[in-house]
Amino acid sequence: MTQTTQSQESENRLPRPFPTARPSGCPFDPPAPFAEARAECPVTPLRYPDGHIGRLVTGLASGRAVLGDTRFSSLPAGKRSPVMTPGSELSTDALPTGMFVNMDPPEHTRYRRLLSKHFTIRRVRELRPRVQEMADRLLDAMERDCGPVDLVEAFAKPLPTLVTSELLGLPEEDRAEFRRHVDVLFSLSSSGEEMRQSMTLLGGMLHALIGAAREDPGPDILGRLTVETDLSDEELLGITIVLLIAGLETTTHMLALGTYALLSHPEQLAELRADWSLLDGAVEELLRYLSVVQIGPVRVAAEDFEFEGRSIRTGEVVTVSLPAANRDPLGFENPDVFDIRRGATRHLAFGSGPHQCMGHHLARLELAVGYESLLRRFPRLELAVPAEEIGTREMMVTYGVLALPVRW
Amino acid sequence: MRIEIDRDLCCGAGTCVLLAPGVFDQDDEDGTVILLDATPGAGRRAAVEEAAERCPTAVISIT
Ligand code: HEM
Ligand code: SF4
Repeated sequence: MTQTTQSQESENRLPRPFPTARPSGCPFDPPAPFAEARAECPVTPLRYPDGHIGRLVTGLASGRAVLGDTRFSSLPAGKRSPVMTPGSELSTDALPTGMFVNMDPPEHTRYRRLLSKHFTIRRVRELRPRVQEMADRLLDAMERDCGPVDLVEAFAKPLPTLVTSELLGLPEEDRAEFRRHVDVLFSLSSSGEEMRQSMTLLGGMLHALIGAAREDPGPDILGRLTVETDLSDEELLGITIVLLIAGLETTTHMLALGTYALLSHPEQLAELRADWSLLDGAVEELLRYLSVVQIGPVRVAAEDFEFEGRSIRTGEVVTVSLPAANRDPLGFENPDVFDIRRGATRHLAFGSGPHQCMGHHLARLELAVGYESLLRRFPRLELAVPAEEIGTREMMVTYGVLALPVRW
Repeated sequence: MRIEIDRDLCCGAGTCVLLAPGVFDQDDEDGTVILLDATPGAGRRAAVEEAAERCPTAVISIT
């Protein structure tokens, strides 16, 4: 019952806007107001940019409960971002069908069933040698450059882009153009017009790719989907776009920000270098500690119901803060401490519920191979600029560094 | 320990297979969970409990 009193109390306060400013000098810590909100209550009122009053979830258990409860819908109707991010004004009307991130079961389930087989642990393990090869080639190029280089451009962006190109069966000769469009779409400095243009060109490329897969299906995901399913070209386009949006930026920024975090904790980095069996635990802790998906997941209440002692009204928009949930003291001891030996696997960095990241095994593989290959190649890797000069992506759905100049 | 699964809920994320291989597997066709061993020995209890807890769609129950 204390829950109800507590929530009523917090309900009487003025709803906060969604905070994005990171505390000064702590690029890895979530915005401070999250901890204040969580100390009050794991679910608090939140003001959205258009004035809508919905909820913010900052607690680990409540976050998992919201994401696992399909009465909190993923359908686009009524859903709003808690902050205006660059590109969020792009219209969603023209999006192809097949974008299952914005669906609820059972439509959503149909897509997951068709796609999951390409992301099982078994399948992902088979990819390891190729991912290793791609990482090695990028590091070869970096080494030839002598440094300093921007790790984001030289390694963190191209690795996931190459892996995704391969999964989709994109021919070698198209990969540079593919990367250019993806870069524009995910860049902070692109104008709305540039984004629309890249979206159109990328759409054209993907259409051609789907056409080619139908003509002559290869062993890649698109080839297999054209043979094994009755998905239409438009659905395949939607699926491909989901894979790009979900899999590229997230992995890129985990690679770069994760390297920055390791370089900022030299004792733990030394332990890792001395004992690579700590690697999987380090990847898991980086996922928790950094929680790069920083705005959302967002859901909309599809009906009136009671949730953890509160009345939720139809249409209320609920935003789960993964960085906040992953620093919940009820879920993790000394949550703000970075500890690669923590063994904290019950984090929400990949979400939870039916929409839980489909690429999580692949992401872990790319991160493990990426960090280990980079650190082994450059035993004296270090920042090439003072830490204060490293800018971060505060207003973006995916948190990260703008650039990470390194030398070795 | 007896494990039951509700396969209809499974989203094929494969967390259970990662945590308790040999008890769970994933179908090669649709990625959904396959229960390989419904009554694993007590030595697997911790792993199975963690799988049940971390399964994103609460597919796994232990009795
Ligand atoms: C470290 C890197 C990654 C992080 C932190 C991450 C995080 C997430 C999160 C939080 C969600 C849940 C979204 C929601 O609930 O609405 C999600 C969904 C998803 N992720 Fe990832 N992801 C990563 C890498 C990848 C990769 C490499 C792929 C595959 C190519 C991928 C594919 C997907 C897909 C397809 C979904 C949508 C699932 C659905 O709606 O059913 N992700 N991811
Ligand atoms: S963890 Fe749950 S959802 Fe994922 S494969 Fe296993 S049973 Fe299915």
